[in-house]
Amino acid sequence: MSTFQLRVHRALDDSKLAGALANVSAQLRTRRTLAFQSLPDADAVRDHARKAKLDTLRDLPAHLATFEANLRANGVHVHWAEHAEDCHRIVLEIAAQHQVRRVAKAKSMVSEEIHLNESLERAGLEVVETDLGEYIVQLAGDRPSHIVAPIIHMTRADVGRVMHDRIHTPMTDDPATLGRFAREKLRQVFLDADMGITGANFGVVDTGTICLVTNEGNGRMVTTLPRVHVVLMGIEKLVPTLADLDRLLKLLARSATGQKLTAYTTLISGPRRGGDDGGPEAVHVVLIDNGRSRLMASENAEILGCIRCGACMNVCPVYTSIGGHAYGDTYPGPVGAVVTPGLRGLDGWADLPSASSLCGACRDVCPVRLDIPRMLLTLRRDAAPTHAPRWLRLAMAGFAAVVARPRAYRAATAVLRRVLRRSAVDGWIRQAPGPGRAWTTARDLVAPASTTFQQAWRDRGVR
Amino acid sequence: MPTVHLFHTCLVNEFFPAVGFAAVRVLEHHGCQVNVPLQQTCCGQPAFNGGFHDQARVAARHTIGVLEGTTGPIVVPSGSCADMLIHQYPVLFDGDEAWRLRAEAVAARCREFSAFVAEHQSGRLGHLQATVAYHPSCHLARGLGIDREPRAVIEAIDGTHLRQVDADDECCGFGGLFAVKHADISARMLDRKIANVCASGAERLVSCDLGCLLHIGGGLRRRGVTMKVQHLAELAAEALT
Amino acid sequence: MTAKQRILARLQSARGGSRLPRVESPALQAQVPQSAEACRVRFEVEAAALGVECYVESSVAGVHVRLAKLIDARRVLSWDPAQLPYAAGGLLRAPIQGTAGRTEQATAEIGVTGCDAAVAETGSLVMFSGPGRSRTISLLPPFHVALVDRANILFSMADVFERYRERIRASASCTFITGPSRTADIELTLTLGIHGPGRVAVIIGP
Repeated sequence: MSTFQLRVHRALDDSKLAGALANVSAQLRTRRTLAFQSLPDADAVRDHARKAKLDTLRDLPAHLATFEANLRANGVHVHWAEHAEDCHRIVLEIAAQHQVRRVAKAKSMVSEEIHLNESLERAGLEVVETDLGEYIVQLAGDRPSHIVAPIIHMTRADVGRVMHDRIHTPMTDDPATLGRFAREKLRQVFLDADMGITGANFGVVDTGTICLVTNEGNGRMVTTLPRVHVVLMGIEKLVPTLADLDRLLKLLARSATGQKLTAYTTLISGPRRGGDDGGPEAVHVVLIDNGRSRLMASENAEILGCIRCGACMNVCPVYTSIGGHAYGDTYPGPVGAVVTPGLRGLDGWADLPSASSLCGACRDVCPVRLDIPRMLLTLRRDAAPTHAPRWLRLAMAGFAAVVARPRAYRAATAVLRRVLRRSAVDGWIRQAPGPGRAWTTARDLVAPASTTFQQAWRDRGVR
Repeated sequence: MPTVHLFHTCLVNEFFPAVGFAAVRVLEHHGCQVNVPLQQTCCGQPAFNGGFHDQARVAARHTIGVLEGTTGPIVVPSGSCADMLIHQYPVLFDGDEAWRLRAEAVAARCREFSAFVAEHQSGRLGHLQATVAYHPSCHLARGLGIDREPRAVIEAIDGTHLRQVDADDECCGFGGLFAVKHADISARMLDRKIANVCASGAERLVSCDLGCLLHIGGGLRRRGVTMKVQHLAELAAEALT
Repeated sequence: MTAKQRILARLQSARGGSRLPRVESPALQAQVPQSAEACRVRFEVEAAALGVECYVESSVAGVHVRLAKLIDARRVLSWDPAQLPYAAGGLLRAPIQGTAGRTEQATAEIGVTGCDAAVAETGSLVMFSGPGRSRTISLLPPFHVALVDRANILFSMADVFERYRERIRASASCTFITGPSRTADIELTLTLGIHGPGRVAVIIGP
């Protein structure tokens, strides 16, 4: 059993997880469907959004250069990080430069991807996650399991227990009360923080603007109160203009949570202007590669058009069976099965693209119509020579040897049919031999026919 | 009488020859003469889905060669094989202009069975007292956009009624090699599909994909559920007798 | 070579463009122009759906009465009163302002702001940062009241972007506020007022 299969096994045994996944996925699916009813030309908007994203990727170097120039013109400091460690170093340098001790973080998937928090904490900084789900995850020493709803694997009682154990709040499982505890506790964190770190949902090239899409208000807190604001942004997050941003914003919240817009859509174009009341003295944007340029060189470059809405995992029958942790890395679900091997390489991750029935539900709901099944097939093609099990590679070689030679093919399949029929009782096989054993763990196998359709057709005397 | 060519598929050939004959019966009812090109072997989908594209191309070249020897519609009683022939063959030969054109020419002639029948259907389609849960296979519904047609064929049978199945568009968990490679995930998806199908109260389960029926049917049998499992062709042929 | 140069060089040689699907896009439906009245009505509908209290006053006096009622005896954190529309600033008795220390600002029970625009299609308020209008005012207190000049209700976010492109670029921040602060992180149960205001009211003046 591979690491992935062990994680899957554990997840499938967890009946509490199964209940949580079924409940949450169903609700988010329904909300998405309802929300799209309020967008009459949704198909055209999705096509436009897809085009905007893909065209930007096609010209990414030029767009990045213009974006940087516009950010700089707005008074923003721009840094480039090739790898995770580079980003760690850059953030620590900014922290040192501004005498930062306390960091308040709003949700940033790329910061999880590069494991930033551990690095900052090792350097002696105090780092607090302020997105409620991420805060609970941090308190519990856990990991998020969904990109939009990070703690869907936890019950309200779980959350109450974590807060009780870690921050000594009275034991309760009432979400409103737990929310109030978080508000009170984190309020002081916001007021005391020296540095705010966020991700970026989008970067608008034309105006040098960072767009943050949030619901709780912590995104606004950490970009308003601390002296320094650091934005961590994957290089693929660009959109050309505000008009393109508008189209993507029509799709993001609807796809993610079923809202038309989240409570706060914040456009940041620089540090406080002279005369402003409040706002950070300095805004730094760190443009992060971390494997994205490698993905750009592959046939799966398209996956970089993902806007991180999570709709794909809500409709994925595999994700709703195994949950996010089984995927083993930052991004779960269908997008994760493509992005993780894309960013990290296939070694250690070859299971992910194979853990799909290619049903296509993800492609149907993706706001930018990413063709995830096609990309999974490409990864399988790349993985087959080195990662496919030996029996399968032999079987495929055998297949290729006979499939174009009808007589040899018929002879070979006749042997397979005979072998299977030997295990059959009353036309059914309860335990198939060899690799077929995996089939019969959960279902019977109908016995193959004694005479093939072709043989019977010939015998019918019809040619 | 127009001639159509039956690309019968491996599962029909090796496991369910009766489905092949049922398909012929229905096609003949609609005024077609059915030819079966006997040199066909396999469309190569399992190899393709497994990432073995070179091996899939061997199958594809052979299949294209066999089908090029015919003219007129090629009827395929399988959503997944039809999707392979229609959409994936040209993709397999991306980069090989000559073969891609040949693949496209064959693809243009292929018709999935239920879509072909619905297209040629006029009036009623026999009699049969039955309640049916229809399972839309993923390659058929999403890959080919064919969903209205099989339901219309079922509803055209006097006495046969479709029962509503919850979350019917959710994958059954077959996915070809996926069912074996990730058997535990496949089994969990199967649990959900069987629960929904049984909850519909239908006596029969009908689909246009034998892979799905092998998987769901095998699961029903393992649980001791007596529900008749049929390919759409078998349902239609039964209604015509 | 700098990191920037190396990244850009890798992207150039990736020639990902050749492997990215080319897409044409169909024409988008043109937005039907909406009258000011239609915008106001639509804004009210959307605001209500968000749980935002929406008061439409047909006189300046009405605006003042409504604001006084909402403030009640609460401690007020406010924009520079001179920047509030409908001379509403005159109602406020020594409010805390955005120039005060943040600990003091955090004691406020109600935040009073104007807004630069409102979006009818989504029920959103639009606020630019600037002098006398600290971003904390619509964020720290548990209750936020926004005074909206009826003439500033645009139909869509696209309209806002078109009109205010330069101002967006020139401002440190531009925030679209669409309802109260919320989370559904715990079992997808909706909870309002997590970090930002849990109660939002809008007074639309004449």
